[in-house]
Amino acid sequence: MTEIMKYDVVVVGAGIAGPIVARNVAREGYSVLLVDKKPAIGAPKQCAEGINISIFERYGIPYDKRFINREIYGARIYSPSGYELEIRYKKVSGVILERKVFDKMLAFYAARSGADVLSRTEVEDVIRENGKIIGVKAKHEGEPVEIYGDIIVAADGVESTIARKAGINTYAPPHEFDSAYEYEMLIDGFDPELIHLWFGNDVAPRGYVWVFPKDEDRANVGIGINSDNPKTAKYYLDKWLKENNIPSKKLLEINVGVVPVGGFLKELAKENVVVVGDAARQVNPMHGGGMAEAMKAGTIASKWIVKALEEENLELLKNYTTEWWEKDGKRLERVLKIRKAVERLTDEDLDVFIEVLSGTDAEKIAEGNYTEVIKVLLKHPKVLMSARRISLLKELL
Amino acid sequence: MVEKIKIIVNEDKCYLCGGCAGVCPSLAIKVSSSKWEFFQDKCISCKICINACPVGALDFEPLEG
Ligand SMILES: Cc1cc2nc3c(=O)[nH]c(=O)nc-3n(C[C@H](O)[C@H](O)[C@H](O)COP(=O)(O)OP(=O)(O)OC[C@H]3O[C@@H](n4cnc5c(N)ncnc54)[C@H](O)[C@@H]3O)c2cc1C
Ligand code: SF4
Ligand code: SF4
Repeated sequence: MTEIMKYDVVVVGAGIAGPIVARNVAREGYSVLLVDKKPAIGAPKQCAEGINISIFERYGIPYDKRFINREIYGARIYSPSGYELEIRYKKVSGVILERKVFDKMLAFYAARSGADVLSRTEVEDVIRENGKIIGVKAKHEGEPVEIYGDIIVAADGVESTIARKAGINTYAPPHEFDSAYEYEMLIDGFDPELIHLWFGNDVAPRGYVWVFPKDEDRANVGIGINSDNPKTAKYYLDKWLKENNIPSKKLLEINVGVVPVGGFLKELAKENVVVVGDAARQVNPMHGGGMAEAMKAGTIASKWIVKALEEENLELLKNYTTEWWEKDGKRLERVLKIRKAVERLTDEDLDVFIEVLSGTDAEKIAEGNYTEVIKVLLKHPKVLMSARRISLLKELL
Repeated sequence: MVEKIKIIVNEDKCYLCGGCAGVCPSLAIKVSSSKWEFFQDKCISCKICINACPVGALDFEPLEG
């Protein structure tokens, strides 16, 4: 027999975005169900686990050592020929999480705030009545469940099945995704206070190789490349390890995933369906970081979900689209433009740029202040020697 | 005309990461927490999924007729 459930809000996906929405809406006294197809929320991880320190205060998340593996003080960037650029802050700038614990704790905070949470519950389709979406069809431990809800939140990650079943076109061409592959492994010789990033068209086409330290001698070592590349992300990462004489026989985990890095969903809410996080492609296209963006979007979405329920007016959900695009969409579109320019850089350009930039410039890049750095580059003789470089940079001003 | 194909998965290589389902323009792939599924009737033979898989777990077979 099919079990029937009824909630004000049904949230599909307990990654980052889903639990933030579920927690915020449940706190206001509305009934919320958060479901995830995974038997253990957070596992397997599909992430390098790096995040800015500011999220804890900004989104009301406890700074809990159970899910913070390591505090990070900056980054070192390596060019194809080995030039290095370092940013080192005096204070902690970011952390490397344990996402298996983090995601589960976010769901736990949602549960504690009043939401119901069901793991091992896969949503398969939406339920419509007279053309209107009134709920979702799912399977909980293999048994059919029908979950009715006034508002459905598609926080189901890059697959975005639910948004698509609800008739929201989340399609993006293959070039707008990155394929990512990562080992959590033993690795020596990298300053564990910094994250490390390697760029180069042969190293990681369109993307980069990363080492995100978890212990003195353990790290997430991964790569992201353009999804339409005829070679796999695994091929490029194994090649990089080999070329750098890094032993790869101490692999504790293998993590795989696809990251939407090429543009953002235009319509974030349609009737009573709201799309948030990777499902809406709300990812920083420069570095592929999506956790903070998912939290930002989840916060805006939950505000309008609460308002829509309070005023019994689903039209208000459209304000989520408007507010996100005004605040974050605009900012991320600019980042995307810069990413597209970086995509056109040759290895020689990358060498020159990384060679001539200072740590202070790198700090500005990390803060998202690209304009000043572009101006610095435009004054440098090595940049001025190339008309192509000048025009590329000028496009971005 | 595009050659009609069937997508096949190497289950031993697949991590059920959902990436191929995400890039598929026509919902022809479904990835649950325990299995990978393909729906021939929806597939438009674009092969986008094959390149996108980070580990090369997907391949294709031409369909006759
Ligand atoms: C290899 C890799 C490295 C990365 N590194 C970083 C990093 O260092 N820092 C960073 O900020 N970001 C990183 N990202 C991106 C980041 O992981 C995502 O942007 C982030 O997890 C998005 O959160 P989300 O809640 O939108 O989706 P997800 O975290 O993907 O959560 C979606 C959830 O929905 C569930 N789900 C899907 N379909 C259904 C269904 N039908 N029914 C029920 N449940 C369903 C899934 O099981 C999953 O738990 C990385 C991504 C990859 C692949
Ligand atoms: S992208 Fe590859 S590893 Fe991921 S689910 Fe599809 S076939 Fe499996
Ligand atoms: S070939 Fe295209 S339509 Fe068919 S499963 Fe792959 S991505 Fe989907």
